Amino acid sequence: MSSETSGGSLRGFYIVFAVVAVVGLGAVGYNVGSSAFSKTAMEPVDLAGAVEDMRVLRDMAVPVTLGEQDAPVTIIVFGDYYCNHCGAFSLRERPRVVENYVNTGKARLVFYDFVLDPRPEAGTFLAARAARCAGDQGRFWDYHDRLYRSQLTWGMESDKVSVFQEYGAELGLDTGDFNACLKSDRHAQEVSANRELAHALGLGGTPMVMVGTGRGMSRRLDNYYFETIQAAVDEILGDTATNQ
Amino acid sequence: MTSYSPPRNRMAVALLSLVGLFIALYMLAYALGLTGDVMCGIGDCERVQNSPYSRIGPVPVAGFGVVGYLALLVATFLGIQPGFQNSRWIPVTLLVGCSLGLVFTGYLTYLEAFVIHAWCQWCVASAIIMVLAFLASLPEVRRIGENR
Repeated sequence: MSSETSGGSLRGFYIVFAVVAVVGLGAVGYNVGSSAFSKTAMEPVDLAGAVEDMRVLRDMAVPVTLGEQDAPVTIIVFGDYYCNHCGAFSLRERPRVVENYVNTGKARLVFYDFVLDPRPEAGTFLAARAARCAGDQGRFWDYHDRLYRSQLTWGMESDKVSVFQEYGAELGLDTGDFNACLKSDRHAQEVSANRELAHALGLGGTPMVMVGTGRGMSRRLDNYYFETIQAAVDEILGDTATNQ
Repeated sequence: MTSYSPPRNRMAVALLSLVGLFIALYMLAYALGLTGDVMCGIGDCERVQNSPYSRIGPVPVAGFGVVGYLALLVATFLGIQPGFQNSRWIPVTLLVGCSLGLVFTGYLTYLEAFVIHAWCQWCVASAIIMVLAFLASLPEVRRIGENR
């Protein structure tokens, strides 16, 4: 045996090997373990007194908006991801609203999550967070619609985290970021505050559509159909034109 | 009584394989969704790990790394034991294993550089480990002749 490749101490090798093994196992184990035990926010979080103070609650409630900030009309929608009428609004009526009013700069769409069933097993709170995690990558509305298209599918699944991860991958999201967001408590406060805001406004169900100018009170509509929204928006646009 | 001195190059390959194994395990855990964000100070690991080339069929590339490094680890661990000093299959296994690993890691590095156009620090680290392991396995060529 040549001296250049032989002559090491087996005991010394085992010591170095053990040190590397312990460090490596610790690093990989810590990373996987901390991810596995990280708290995935599955239900509304405590808002620490904000519920009693409407102004604080309004600041904490963060909607997702579509359209120009200075549009003359604001269409506010409170929706729940497991509500089938919300699905009907999002998939059938909203595209018409967007085409006719949002894309033309006449109105701005403002969406608030209103989680009706806050139980973790219902998955609607997690669904709302998932859509916002997708929103972090600029894909809120795509994910929002994906959830509505498959309400019954994910609603029946016991492992909703995995299903929502699959939707993220399917939409081509950065799955690392998306999954990390989903398995954390990111956006839990906004979604919880939005729900409390709906309660504070006395909303009884979803989808609730309100139309206004964005200043002062908004008018609650009787239903979510495009024609109803159209009439309310046109009325405000007509008033705005008359006053100018 | 003479004390046993295990081959240094095999000890080196064993240690390199161990480090490579942990890197591959970490990447596999990420591919399986068992970790959150991948730690990546240099390069764009997410882009590489989420590219279509990060899997061969349904199997994450990191899974091949785990198997490969584990095989090298077992071979070198046996190779440093006194009873395997004159074994012929240990040098052959190490040379073939390190050569295959070098080709595979070369292919992955090519994909990063010219197809994905992004680098993953863990893949680069694994490639460096594989090159070093290959170099450390070269003395085994002489052992094949000696152990005939």
